[in-house]
Amino acid sequence: MKRLLLISLLFTFWSTPAFAVAGEEYTLDPTETEKKPYHVGGYIEFKPVLLGLDRDSAFYKLRFFNDPRGQNLLEANGRIQLEGSYEKNIFRIYAKTNTDLKSSYSGESERTTFYELYGSIKPLANLRLDVGKKTLKWGKGYAWNPVAFVDRPKDPDDPEQALEGYIVATADYIKSFDGPLTTFSFTPVLFPVYDHVNEAFGNNYKLNAAGRFYFLLYDTDIDLLFMTGGSRTDRYGVDFSRNISINFEVHGELAYVRNFQKNAIDTNGNRNMVEGDAVSYVIGMRHLTTFDLTTIIEYYHNGMGFSGNDMKNYYDYISRGYNTYQTTGNATILNNALQMSEGSYGRANSMTNYLYVRFSQKEPFDIVYFTPALTWMMNTDDQSWSLTPELLYTGITNWEFRIRTGIIVGARNSDFGEKQNDYRIELRVGYYF
Amino acid sequence: MIKKLSLTCLLIVSFACPTFALDGTKLLEQVDRNLNPESYETYRKLINIEPDGRKKEFTLFSVKKGQEKIAALFLAPASDKGRSTLRVGDNMWLNIPNIGKPIRITSLQSVVGGVFNNADILNLDYTAEYDVEKVEERGNEYILYLKAKTKTVAYDRLKMWADKEKKLPTKIECLTEANMLIKTLYFKDVKDFGGGIVRPAVIETNSPLYKGYKSVMIFAKIKEKIFKDEVFTLTFMPNLESLR
Repeated sequence: MKRLLLISLLFTFWSTPAFAVAGEEYTLDPTETEKKPYHVGGYIEFKPVLLGLDRDSAFYKLRFFNDPRGQNLLEANGRIQLEGSYEKNIFRIYAKTNTDLKSSYSGESERTTFYELYGSIKPLANLRLDVGKKTLKWGKGYAWNPVAFVDRPKDPDDPEQALEGYIVATADYIKSFDGPLTTFSFTPVLFPVYDHVNEAFGNNYKLNAAGRFYFLLYDTDIDLLFMTGGSRTDRYGVDFSRNISINFEVHGELAYVRNFQKNAIDTNGNRNMVEGDAVSYVIGMRHLTTFDLTTIIEYYHNGMGFSGNDMKNYYDYISRGYNTYQTTGNATILNNALQMSEGSYGRANSMTNYLYVRFSQKEPFDIVYFTPALTWMMNTDDQSWSLTPELLYTGITNWEFRIRTGIIVGARNSDFGEKQNDYRIELRVGYYF
Repeated sequence: MIKKLSLTCLLIVSFACPTFALDGTKLLEQVDRNLNPESYETYRKLINIEPDGRKKEFTLFSVKKGQEKIAALFLAPASDKGRSTLRVGDNMWLNIPNIGKPIRITSLQSVVGGVFNNADILNLDYTAEYDVEKVEERGNEYILYLKAKTKTVAYDRLKMWADKEKKLPTKIECLTEANMLIKTLYFKDVKDFGGGIVRPAVIETNSPLYKGYKSVMIFAKIKEKIFKDEVFTLTFMPNLESLR
C-alpha cells in the first residue's frame, strides 16, 4: 500500500507540469533578462559507485595489500561546487569552490579547494587581464591534450569534468581582420612556482612564462603554444581544428618537450633516469550522422609514457613487494611502489599509444534529452582496453542523470589488465542551481 | 476563336507579369531587414515542448554583426548558464564553462535539444545563405523559393510565405535537396520592438521527424547595436556576459 502511494505521488509529481502547460501563452518576462552585477550558482552531485575488484591485479595488491577486500567494493561520492561573481565597470571577480566527499571502506573523507579564484580587468573590448587561480584549458583534443602545458591533466574517462586551475597572471589580446586570417589572439601567461603557489607543478622558486597564439586562418583554428622557465623543461606545441564538411570535424595536437626526464625502474626497483626530447600528439575527428549519432575518434601518442617493459618491471616490483609482505610483513617495497603510483606510474594512460572511440546517439526512439553513449579506449601496444556504456538523461530542468558501467579487459602485465577493477557501475545524479 | 486566344494571352500576361516584375533577391533583403537590423542584440527564450506537455526553457542573449557573425550566451537554466555559441560564416563553436575550450559544432546539431537546431538558433540573414529561385504571389502573400548557396547550409531549400504588405515571413518550410520536409517554422505575434523594428515576436516550429514535439522561440528585446569584430572570436566567447 505504501509503495502504491509512493508511485502515485511520483506520478503526480511527473505529470503536473503537463497539465500546467495546457493553454499557456508564450511570454518572456523582461525581468528574466535583466543583468545583475553579481551571480551565485552551484552544482551538487551524488555518485554511488560499485567496483568489481580484480584481486590478482598489480594495482589491487598495491592498494589493498594490508586490508584485503572481497569481490566488490561500494563507495559513495558527493561533490558540491559553488560559484559566484561580481562585476562592476571593467572589473570582475570570480570564484568557484569544489568540495569532494567520499565514503568508502577506508572511512569518510572531504576535500575542499578553490578550483578558480581570480580578478579580471577589461580595459578594452579586445583586451582582458586576469590574475589569480584559473583554468586555461588549452588544446583541441577531447580525451587528451598534450599541449595543455599550464593545466592539470584531464581524466580521459570523464573529460568533461571541471578541473582545478593554477595561480597565474594572464591576458587575452584579440584582433580581427578581413581576409583569410579572420582572427588573431595572444594569451601570455606568467606562472609562478614557489612555496604554497603551484608548488606541486615542478621545480620550485621559478617564474615560468607560457603563451598561446591563436589564428583563425582559412576557416581553421590554429594555436601555437609554449612554456619555459625551469619548473618543467621547455615545451612547444601546435594544434588545429577544422570542419571538413558540415558534419565532419578533424583536430590534432602536437607537443615537443625538450630534455624530458623519465624515471623508470628495473625489476629490483632501481631507478633509471632516461633523458631526451619527447614528442606527444593527438589526432582525432568528430562526425555527426543525419540520425544524430556523434562519433569521436582520437589516437594519442604519449612520447613521455612508459614502454611495455617499463610497466612490466613496475608490476614485477609490486609483485615482489607483495610476496615479501606476505612472507615477512615488510611493506617497504610496496610503500615505494605506492609512492611511484602517485607520480607517473599511477596516472591514467601512463603508457605510449592509445585509441579512443566514442559513439553517442542523441535522442534515440524520439526520447528527447536522452543520450546513450559507448566509449572504448584501447592501449594499442598491448591490446588491453576498457568499454564504457552510459545512459544520460537531462530532461528535467537543472537535473542530470547518468548511469554508466566500465568493463576493463586485458592480459596480465597489460595496462588495463593490471588495473584495480574488472568493472565499475556508477550512478551520477547532478543538480544545478 | 481570336477573342478566346486574346483573352487567354491576356490572362497569361496578367498572371505572369507580377512574377517577372518582382526582384526576389531585393524582396528577400527586405524580409531580412524587417526581421532584424544587420547588427543587433536581442534576448530570446527557447521552449521545447514534449508531447505530454512537459517543457524545457532556455534564455539567451545574442549579438549579431553583419552578414556572417553571430554569438549567443545562455542565461538560464542554471545547468546551461554561461554556455556560449559562436558562428562565423559556416564555422560554429560551443563553449561550455566546465570544459573551457570552445569545441566545433555543426549546424545540424542542437545545443538545446528539441526541434530547433544550431542553424535555427544562430541564424544568419537569409540572403547570406540562400538564392531566390522564384517568387510567386498568392493572395496577400508572396511565396519565395530559396536554394542554399553552398552545401554547408543546414537546409538545402526553403519555401517562405511572406506577408505582402509587411514583407515579413509568416511560414517557412525547411526542405532537403529531394524536397523532403525537415521542419516548418511559423512566425507569429507581430510586435513593435521600438527603433523601427516591427516583427514577429514568436517563432514556432514542428517537424515530421519529431512527431508531437514543438519548439518555440520568443523574442523579448531587439536593439540595433554595432559590436567590434573581436567580440565574434573564440577567445572572447567566455566574456560575452560583459556585453550585456
